Amino acid sequence: MKFILNYIRKEEWSPYVAGILLGVVGVLAVLLSNSLLGASGAFENIAGLIGKAVAPQAFDNMYFNFIMPPGITWGVILLVGVFFGGMLGAFSSSTFKWRLVSDDQWKKVFGPQVWKRWVLAFLGAIVLEYGAGIAGGCTSGLAISGGMLLAPAAFLFIGGMFASGILTAMVVYRKGY
Amino acid sequence: MSNYLIAGFLGVFFGFSLNKAGLTKYHKIVDVFRFTDMAVLKFMMTALVVAMIGLYGLRGLGLIVFPSVPSTYIVGNVIGGLIFGIGMALTGY
Repeated sequence: MKFILNYIRKEEWSPYVAGILLGVVGVLAVLLSNSLLGASGAFENIAGLIGKAVAPQAFDNMYFNFIMPPGITWGVILLVGVFFGGMLGAFSSSTFKWRLVSDDQWKKVFGPQVWKRWVLAFLGAIVLEYGAGIAGGCTSGLAISGGMLLAPAAFLFIGGMFASGILTAMVVYRKGY
Repeated sequence: MSNYLIAGFLGVFFGFSLNKAGLTKYHKIVDVFRFTDMAVLKFMMTALVVAMIGLYGLRGLGLIVFPSVPSTYIVGNVIGGLIFGIGMALTGY
């Protein structure tokens, strides 16, 4: 019992243990709600909700009417849970802290400027969400949730993701790769 | 309503597992693309294998019906993945 409690308090688990937890959560999502885990879709649901209110004509298209209908969906609530779950994880290991630039490795590669991290995070996230929109999901919604149903789309996506991710890392890190 | 409660509850465990695997950190995500830390892949593949066994087992027992499987459109899936990877390696999300 003490061993388990101590393990929960560890900052970093073995990825295999954390992976088992996520796998069980993925099964429960199907068993209890007949839904798939995902993250990027929720942002599109919210974007659609805001878009329909602000510029209804621009958002009156196939994509937001049928493929990603706006609303507070199951995925949006899931994402709220993810936020608090991540926080709980940080609290459990007493590593919770407010930061503007979260990562030392980032500072080494891109420099210590805070604005750079935020601008690049914002632009990078646009690229990422756009890609997810085309592919039909993100790492969780397509690669993991699709993969566990053995959907070919998931494995095509993982291939693409690693190909361009490796190339981008090579460009960013150059000699340090 | 109960569906929303389930979503929130499962979300907490989802976020918790991401945090504990370290996937909320930039260096963990980008290092898998540099082949210096394979935690992302270990985490993803473990989750996949566990969920596959669980889901196919439960379906075999007739306890669940699969939700709509993400659709396959080869060019879209690959190009989407290629664009996604650039954003992922830049931001570490």
